[in-house]
Amino acid sequence: MTLQGKHIARREPAKVMRLSRLGSLHQCRLSFMRVLTRRMADEGWQFSRPVFDIDDQGVGRAVYTAQGPQRAYSLVAFAHDLPDEKRSDRVIAEAWDATFALFDGIPTKADIDRLSQNVPVQEAGRVSESELSLSRANRSVRLWAHVVDRLAAGRQPDPQQIDDVGYLMRTTAVYGSGKFGAADRDVIADRDEAQTPFQIEMLSVYLTRTFVRDLVQHMAVAKGGDQAVPMHSDIARRLGIGNSTGLGMAPFIINHPILFNNWIMAREEAIASVRCIPSATPDEALAFLGLIRRSVLSVEKWRSKHPIQVQKLQALKADLQALTDHLAGNDLQQDHPWDRLMNWSDAKLSEEGQELVASLLLEPYGHLVDGLSNCMSDSNADAFRIDGAMRVAEACDLIRDRFGWALDLDWSAREHCARAWYVSEEKLEPRMGERFEEPIMEYEQPLAPARDAARAFAALTDWDADQPVAAFLLRHPEHRHTIRRAQMSRLAPYSEIQDNTISDSVLPIDMLRAKLSFFGATHFDPRSDRWVRICMYAGAPYPDELSPDNADLWVYPEAEA
Amino acid sequence: MSFSLNEVEVTAKRAARGAGYPWGLAEEAGKATRWLCANGQDGIAELMRLLNLGLAASPASHSPKGLTEIWASDAPLCPLATGALLSDCARSLPGGRIEMKQVANPVFLLPFAAGASRVLGSTVTVECDGQIAVVDGKCLSVADRFPATATQITVRVGGDMTIPHPRQTRAAPDPDIWVRLNRFAHRTYAPATEESRKLGAGSGLSDND
Repeated sequence: MTLQGKHIARREPAKVMRLSRLGSLHQCRLSFMRVLTRRMADEGWQFSRPVFDIDDQGVGRAVYTAQGPQRAYSLVAFAHDLPDEKRSDRVIAEAWDATFALFDGIPTKADIDRLSQNVPVQEAGRVSESELSLSRANRSVRLWAHVVDRLAAGRQPDPQQIDDVGYLMRTTAVYGSGKFGAADRDVIADRDEAQTPFQIEMLSVYLTRTFVRDLVQHMAVAKGGDQAVPMHSDIARRLGIGNSTGLGMAPFIINHPILFNNWIMAREEAIASVRCIPSATPDEALAFLGLIRRSVLSVEKWRSKHPIQVQKLQALKADLQALTDHLAGNDLQQDHPWDRLMNWSDAKLSEEGQELVASLLLEPYGHLVDGLSNCMSDSNADAFRIDGAMRVAEACDLIRDRFGWALDLDWSAREHCARAWYVSEEKLEPRMGERFEEPIMEYEQPLAPARDAARAFAALTDWDADQPVAAFLLRHPEHRHTIRRAQMSRLAPYSEIQDNTISDSVLPIDMLRAKLSFFGATHFDPRSDRWVRICMYAGAPYPDELSPDNADLWVYPEAEA
Repeated sequence: MSFSLNEVEVTAKRAARGAGYPWGLAEEAGKATRWLCANGQDGIAELMRLLNLGLAASPASHSPKGLTEIWASDAPLCPLATGALLSDCARSLPGGRIEMKQVANPVFLLPFAAGASRVLGSTVTVECDGQIAVVDGKCLSVADRFPATATQITVRVGGDMTIPHPRQTRAAPDPDIWVRLNRFAHRTYAPATEESRKLGAGSGLSDND
């Protein structure tokens, strides 16, 4: 028997698309931040800071330009003096420590003046088709003061304090794709550097991190004068940009089923490809083992006080120990080593551990994996159209395939429909409430695809199986969104979360983590069941340091010398 | 003020939902309004005109009675429901043509005809009381504005794109109409309570750390 050419299929959607697993995903080679830094390094992007006009109080403006092979992008930053009582990470805040727009090209002074009237007020202002994103950030008060004080006094910041927080500022929203007047996604969709999703937003955050480093240095000099010292580059590199993500982002992965499918499917395809490899070279095995060690360091720096995450971290630490023990006595080179490892981790590790292993085993195989990042956008606008010629029987089959588990659930039972998603009048942001305790039912958003599938299925069973679904929809337009999703699932096996998104035990942080893991975020720190803080770009080289040698594996911390 | 087409689509979808359309048709309204704006039509004003008719209150009477050769009802047809049906039935169009009687705001049929044309890989002609519009997968060619209501509509495969409208990437609706459209959208938003502020977004912690 030969094991050469063994075919290993992608993991089943029924396994991958459960919320608890989606809520245990980790970054990987396909994460959007890493795709961006690899591209910028490979293409030799040039970075400059044409404007840095900030006073001793930390108020002013700055511009950071990233010049790629075909065009430039500029972060226009406004720094503010924000009293502590106004600092809120909530999306409903009205003032921030710093505000930003990513400009498409190089802005003129008139552009910057126009933006200075609009960007600092964020949602209350308007940007234009020349802008690609709008964002803001708040300081970590604790760490900011520590770093300014230390540098001003001629000393370096305490690495322990840096690791405890991880960032000097955290963004609280990065709006792209036509929000508040910015350019639509269509404007950039054909550009090489926008083939992977969220590249513009990731660039904005990357440049924001550089601005924050420069700003804290500027404030230290303003305070300490000649005594102040520059921050060591190894300390600066530890600093990421934090991000507070609330509930508003959770519906995104339900509202963009094809896009989300493409992310998951690319990763699953990568995992399956690596599992098919019959044998690994010593270098590949060593690379993997090295990254396990670095992952142990990363997990050690991962802080959370949320009981759910505390428990998951304990399990993950035990998983890493078990993995290390297992690998000590195991040959990683022969007999489909990666498939064997996946099967072992399935049996022995928690979902956090399983997904970490799945992400890590892609690392030695950039040549197999990285090209998949070009398949992660949603360019299939036609998937929106319903094929009305489909027979009722076939529509039933599609629903049963994805939501078989949901068809027998008693959807009127309180525990199965305790929650409802709605949009608040106040800030037009998605929220989740208690269906039986708050007056929100008539405002419910269509964010319970499983329940809606069960409803549509029940209605379809009253129809002749051979009727075209167009006839059904003509009489039942209330099921139109569900039939659309069912038809999309033909092209997109991972389009649907296979869990109840309105149950009394749903954890929106699972949806947030699934999305943020694809950005490349680390150190997920849930602050409640519907709000999470993360870190982005910690360990990454700054623009003046970026090279093909350091553009990729920065996400894994290295042991200190 | 100029709006992105994403803003147009999101607002149109919410407004249609606020006017009483089910979510699936509200999604169609969003895409259709965006398509009209991208093709140089005042999609916002057209949607406003349509929503003001209140057809969503009695959907059955404003939808074709069946998939017969002539689509009609006892009351004027809603162009969203009828357009969606046209798009759904795109594959059965090549053999012949579809006729419709009494369609309100028939300009809203055009985005759906464009969807059908993409499926069929051919232009599609919509003739509306003598006015002719031709669409292909992307563009629209029409000489004059479509009437507020059409008595007789014919949709058929083929036709020449004579003067396609240049594609637009922004929309500049009449500010007053934009405000009124947002009033429809507003009906989909739940009034805020102190409870929902605290619980709904899930954060009550200080951010000064």
